[in-house]
Amino acid sequence: MSTETAVQPQTAKTGLESVRELLAERSPEIWPALRTATRGAADFPEVLALATMRKKAQRAGIPGGADKTIRLAMVGGSSLYPLHELVQQMIGAESSTGWWETELWKGDYDNYISEVLDPESELYSFKPDVIFLIPSSQRCVYQGSMTDPQDLQRAEATKTADDLLSLCRTAHERTGAEIVVANFLPAAEFDPGSFRVRTLGSNWSFRKLVNLELGLAAPAYVHICDAEFLATRWGTANCYDPRAWFETKQLYSSDFSVDIAREVAGIVASLHRSSKKVLALDLDNTLWGGVIGDDGMAGIEIGGTHPRGEAFKQFQLAIASMAQRGVILAVCSKNDYKNAAEPFEKHPEMILRLKDIASFQANWEPKSENLRKIAQELNLGLDSIVFVDDNPAEIEIVKQFVPEIETIWLGPDPAEYAAQLLNCRFFEPRSITADDLNRGEQYQQQAARTQAMSSGTDMESYLESLEMRSILSEFTEVDIPRISQLINKSNQFNVTTRRRSEAEVEALISDRDHYGFSVRLADKFGDNGLISVVIVKAEDKTAIIDTWLMSCRVLKRQMEDEVVNEIVRLATARGCTKVVGHYLPTEKNGMVRDLFPRMGFALTEETPERASYQLTTEDFVPRKTHIQIDRRAYESN
Amino acid sequence: MNQTEILAKMQTVFDDVFLDDIKVTPELSANDVEEWDSLLQISLVLGVEKAFNVRFRVGEVEATKNLGEFADLIQRRMAEGVKA
Repeated sequence: MSTETAVQPQTAKTGLESVRELLAERSPEIWPALRTATRGAADFPEVLALATMRKKAQRAGIPGGADKTIRLAMVGGSSLYPLHELVQQMIGAESSTGWWETELWKGDYDNYISEVLDPESELYSFKPDVIFLIPSSQRCVYQGSMTDPQDLQRAEATKTADDLLSLCRTAHERTGAEIVVANFLPAAEFDPGSFRVRTLGSNWSFRKLVNLELGLAAPAYVHICDAEFLATRWGTANCYDPRAWFETKQLYSSDFSVDIAREVAGIVASLHRSSKKVLALDLDNTLWGGVIGDDGMAGIEIGGTHPRGEAFKQFQLAIASMAQRGVILAVCSKNDYKNAAEPFEKHPEMILRLKDIASFQANWEPKSENLRKIAQELNLGLDSIVFVDDNPAEIEIVKQFVPEIETIWLGPDPAEYAAQLLNCRFFEPRSITADDLNRGEQYQQQAARTQAMSSGTDMESYLESLEMRSILSEFTEVDIPRISQLINKSNQFNVTTRRRSEAEVEALISDRDHYGFSVRLADKFGDNGLISVVIVKAEDKTAIIDTWLMSCRVLKRQMEDEVVNEIVRLATARGCTKVVGHYLPTEKNGMVRDLFPRMGFALTEETPERASYQLTTEDFVPRKTHIQIDRRAYESN
Repeated sequence: MNQTEILAKMQTVFDDVFLDDIKVTPELSANDVEEWDSLLQISLVLGVEKAFNVRFRVGEVEATKNLGEFADLIQRRMAEGVKA
């Protein structure tokens, strides 16, 4: 782990140094080196040094540069120097084979409104393809009092956003150019304290509202350079530099300018090439922990059995969220197909299923070949694929043999996988049409969630709105690690606190005197996984509850009611007329002290060490709940 | 760091900022270099701050007459241990 983290800053540094050497040699190799170094550059002086070297290379006429020219106009309420140097440099590095040149026209400091409104302005004779507009923060201040009526403040925010959008419309109509607008930086000063969120008139609230209005009302030709998000992600206080404002009217601190420039370049690039469409995934140690061919179904780590299993599950959820939005999934794995497909078909904790995978390549061919097969099967270009692997060697091979394919190396820690994917930036929908297909569905889900929250005040309707579904299953090989984990870990909702080893749990599967079942619970917001375990011993006509435990995260969901229903159903099926339960008090399991009486059991005996309860199956009326049972134990599908 | 050492380190910043080869001397000022305008000055100051890990106060770089005085200012700020 330490080697990989140590390598990162070093490559960035040698990037700058190798550009210097290639410049001295006048080598055409300087262009790919410049692209790599620029994309990875961290701070202002580094980008600027790279820009200087690029200009020197251009002046020296080193071949292999310009493969596209973009006409960019920048206008704004602050000085555009030296931001424009950074923007130019970042746009150049967006080329995949050479260097994108920028023909640049810069407006004057705080002259953007007249430059856009005046049809005779140089902005229009320049004929830009793209206009980058950075409005003045001073024009995004609520002029009235913080105690003014909210309607008044809201109307003012809407007007500020509308004014800006109408400026964009004018510029677009006169040039046909795409308009990139930087939204407003969040306020970073403490004053006026937390009162800032109790009014729309504070800089904090007002700017947030203007930014929201701006984004929600922006037409397709307007692209938001989301300065608010970038600043928040980085730390807003670091994005301001008052000295730079007073001396030279810089709106952003120098290092934050790099973030802004990179974002603008990304937006400009997205106008010139299509986004990625396919996510091609490795399997072992990528979608699950371990090697399916060696460890088998019960040995791989996926789901709520282990912190690592949870991390892999979270990664699959992140993938699923992208798939739902239209990203196509493919598998590219060195495995026997039968082994590779099994978890997708049968593992209860897997999020991704075979139906989610559009092209499944699991064999022993090189991955570069399988990626070509994926492109063929899906009838898409290689450049629409992003390949994901935990193994740096596989990533290197793909980079070398199919350079058209972008890659994501997940790194050594599964905890970071989901974030790596969600920050990769390859699958961002920029145009409205790309997203249109799923929008209806998204709306429905969001509306349903909001409804669930708002109806949550009344318990019954809340439970109903959760749309809970449960699977009750006899013990299976695959579930044994999780069942054992719960048996050995659960302290609170656990009536007897009897511990058992994995081997002992496994032995129960074929034990004729005992029967048991596990419980899974899902609701509309997600799958809680395996959350409850029951073991019952049948003695003649009496069913004795040996173990009954549940994960506390599903308390108050009526799950225990359904568990009693199942206990009694299974007891009856085995010819038992009585069900007996014992509560063995510990320091931690006080929460289930009254579980049996609550569920309709009668007390038969009580000592400080043990309370015994009993229920007659004949008299039992199944308890009503809001949980739909999709499958019951010892019943095949 | 004395003035000579500071000027030597400033040379690397100049090489990263100017297209022409500029020889750094204590007497050199913006008037002597065509490329050195008020805009390039911004990049130069930011590069110097990063290279020397110092932070200047508002208006004080502008007040220096040549690189010798600029180097003295850098020295004072370094002595204070003011971090950017």
